[in-house]
Amino acid sequence: MRTAMMRRLGAAMFVSVAVAQTLPAQWVTTYESFYLQAPHNWTFRNSYQSADRLFNAFDYGHAILYETLFTKPNAPASLLEEKIYDRLTKKILVSPPKVPLEEVTIEPMYARLSPEAKAMFDWSHILHRQIYDVLADERLSEPQKDAEVQRLLAFYKTRPDLAFSSKPKSMELMQEQPYSLAFRQKYPKFNGLIWGYHWFQVGLYEPLLVGKSVAERQAGVRATVARFWQMLGDPMTSLPYQMPMTAAIAPEFAKRFPEAAIIFDNLHSMHDVVSDILTNPSVPRNRKRAEIVQAGRLFRDDTSYVMSVDAWLTMSREMGVENMGGKAVGFTPALPVPTVTRGAVMQHDNATGRMTGMKVGQMTGGAHADMDHGAPSDTTKPPAATGHEGHVMTPPSPPAATGHEGHVMPANADTAQRTPASKDTMHTMHHPEVAATAQRTLMMQRALLRDPVIRRRIAADPALRRLMLESTDGLSDTDRDELRRLLTVPRR
Amino acid sequence: MRKLMGAAGLLLVAAPLQAQTDYYNTDTGRPLLIEDAYALERRGFELQVAPMRLTRTRGGVYTWGIEPELAFGIAKRTQLEIGVPIAYVDQRGGAGGTGITGVEMSLLHNLNVETSIPAFAIAGDLLLPVGRFAPARSYASVKGIMTRTFPAMRVHVNAQYTFGSDLSSTSVAPVGGPAQNVEVSRWIAGAAIDKALPLRSLLLSAELYARQSLRVGEPLEWNSGVGVRYQIAPRWVMDGGIGRALTGTDHAWFMTGGGAYAFGLPWRQR
Repeated sequence: MRTAMMRRLGAAMFVSVAVAQTLPAQWVTTYESFYLQAPHNWTFRNSYQSADRLFNAFDYGHAILYETLFTKPNAPASLLEEKIYDRLTKKILVSPPKVPLEEVTIEPMYARLSPEAKAMFDWSHILHRQIYDVLADERLSEPQKDAEVQRLLAFYKTRPDLAFSSKPKSMELMQEQPYSLAFRQKYPKFNGLIWGYHWFQVGLYEPLLVGKSVAERQAGVRATVARFWQMLGDPMTSLPYQMPMTAAIAPEFAKRFPEAAIIFDNLHSMHDVVSDILTNPSVPRNRKRAEIVQAGRLFRDDTSYVMSVDAWLTMSREMGVENMGGKAVGFTPALPVPTVTRGAVMQHDNATGRMTGMKVGQMTGGAHADMDHGAPSDTTKPPAATGHEGHVMTPPSPPAATGHEGHVMPANADTAQRTPASKDTMHTMHHPEVAATAQRTLMMQRALLRDPVIRRRIAADPALRRLMLESTDGLSDTDRDELRRLLTVPRR
Repeated sequence: MRKLMGAAGLLLVAAPLQAQTDYYNTDTGRPLLIEDAYALERRGFELQVAPMRLTRTRGGVYTWGIEPELAFGIAKRTQLEIGVPIAYVDQRGGAGGTGITGVEMSLLHNLNVETSIPAFAIAGDLLLPVGRFAPARSYASVKGIMTRTFPAMRVHVNAQYTFGSDLSSTSVAPVGGPAQNVEVSRWIAGAAIDKALPLRSLLLSAELYARQSLRVGEPLEWNSGVGVRYQIAPRWVMDGGIGRALTGTDHAWFMTGGGAYAFGLPWRQR
């Protein structure tokens, strides 16, 4: 009798200790605050309905992603890459919800996993929306808009437990953690869609700023919306290859409101980090919450992985706007051609922001196709002084519309050639000798393709064909068309 | 007069104050009695502009109620509410009337956000004897709330206790026969489930709860209801519901509908 009682007592103590250890980690007391009450509330919704409603669809996309990653870790990639992606792009984006969504209804289990991170995202999404409202409010003068955005930022910072740091964070925090890259490698298409969302979310500020009149702003927003749809055309080629950086996509916005731009870059980085943590099986399920909470801390503080604003601007340029979907205004009809493989990981000097190498992936396509990517740094060339500003490309043709077969896929990214790239390689495209090299390459390609055996082999090899097609982007229309004709797969 | 008191009592148990703007944050009485464990956002206001309630008791007496109320997110995870329920009784063959049935103040504090631990909240209500149809004295209640989320639905459990001595059969007498014999409760305990349709910003709810009257000798009463909340605009939520007493002496049924408008406290940078 006494033994049984002792057992029960021991069991009770064990349970008590277990509960006591679990409770502090699971007892969460975050809370919601009402958005800043102001006359401009919901102005953007009223004035730019089609764009605003897309944000509601984005809410769904983010939420269903996290819920799926967390609740169906063993599901085939096709669940997200095909079924859910198709639903998002063919139904929900086409007919978006009329009001902002309550994300917890879409991601109930993820919200239970990490309410702190969800609250951080919610708080920052409110800032996103309120800045659209200010910039869309035609009653406000430009100085008033500036002041109101600063007021929004101050209000945002009243919640230090939720606010992302307004100090730039290096890409190391996002891309070089033990769990990093899992999402982009397993779900490249969905990852591109998320980056497309982020391109739109930061990019839409730009037409509101550069437009000089209501009509210009309306037209600019319509154009940016259309550009977003264009990105969905052939997702594996047309969606961004890199995380869109606000300073590259929306330079006017970043120049006028650098703190907001930095906050949004940090926000978007953490979106990727959460996706990686949820995707990566090396993070056990019972560690996912802790990792997400820790990532949240790092993104909120002003000391971890911090770089200077100048370095952040340089890094944003060096990553290449053409890899991020291009600028949000003043773009050409065709999408820019990326110069790196999808999901490539560039490394940067945190002090300067200059690119120091490629950890994962490689440079490809466009004028960069002619570069000696594998070569060590050419220290004889002068360093590029201004980064990538010359990379605002105006490619003469859309990305290869040949489906997915031709892609150097991120599935290979972790095993792809990890080539240290020269700091200067990305800048040689601006040199006149590049054009001569392109011509020599063209001559060589013509010679090769005249051989029917080689031609058939290249046409049948998706990777080779893709590389060939990408190498046509610096050519004249005539030359490019000729090469494309030669690369057409012969009908049997 | 007794009849009106009974009707006022019905309102008290059926629509005590709680208010949140978002369609997913359920409020007591909007449309169902059982609510979730979350408070209004800090610095947020919610104005229940026209929450209507129609009740029909067995004797054919219709009671209309409207309860304008204002809620305020006064602190972290805490909301304060004040409401002034007004009732109109349509008494067959007798004198109906319109009047305030009391002033109700409520404070709800959410203890935690749900993780592997459910969300919990505590609430206190105070009904003051203000108005023509108000009770003769104040009533104070405490309530515990729990919310648990599952992939397909949420479950809410509420338990409320009202302090004060029992009422004798003569203090608040039944009016118009047993069908109208509804009043302040000694305790209420029940559960609700709800299911959201996220893309439509719609919430479907159902509840079942038991109520013990404060009046001596009244049997335990089981009640059920179903309702819907719908976000029609970022600041506006509409709701509607129907319900019925399954047991007890009354077997009353009710319909409710209303709308709430949200706004925030102005903020000035220091």
